[in-house]
Amino acid sequence: MAELLNADVVKQIEDAFAPMKEAVHIMYFGQKENCDYCADTQKLLEEVAVISEKLSLEIYDLDKDADLAKKFNVDKAPGIVITAKDGKTISDYGVRYAGIPSGHEFTSLIQDILLVAGRDSGLMQETRDFLKELTEPVLLQVFATPT
Amino acid sequence: MVQAEMISAMEFQALSQKHNVSGVPQTTINDGAANVVGAVPESNMVTELKRITGK
Repeated sequence: MAELLNADVVKQIEDAFAPMKEAVHIMYFGQKENCDYCADTQKLLEEVAVISEKLSLEIYDLDKDADLAKKFNVDKAPGIVITAKDGKTISDYGVRYAGIPSGHEFTSLIQDILLVAGRDSGLMQETRDFLKELTEPVLLQVFATPT
Repeated sequence: MVQAEMISAMEFQALSQKHNVSGVPQTTINDGAANVVGAVPESNMVTELKRITGK
């Protein structure tokens, strides 16, 4: 398979990743069957992950690694979890992708990696105060099309 | 406490249909407790979450 990211795009991502503060670990969950976009998504993430030393990637299978998928609330393939990595500690920031992050979603993916690298949501103080009060889990699902 | 999942509507059509996705982006909160089409400014998101959670 040819490279998905051309040299110009790789350079742009390199520049975007240059100020990355802390390490980010990406967990990818694929599936053997009925997954039209798994191969491309895995390849895309592999190409992104090598761009920065602060990025790491682990490949999992939704069926074989069902326990881990359940632990991280991943129920779709391709599924992506963007986590913070400090030493050997993985911290879940609640950021997930279901489906291939192409088009605008690729930009979102890069921005989410930078967000987790900065370890800060950028939210207003009053929003943070409100979120701290939550006692039940909240699931936000953002439907998008890759155009 | 908060999980945010970006979903490719074309790849997961059954789920998109379940939540009546017609325009994108659509933000579905807590499996349909609220659906917001278009960009969601931070303050609007908080308003929606306050309404849903009753906080």
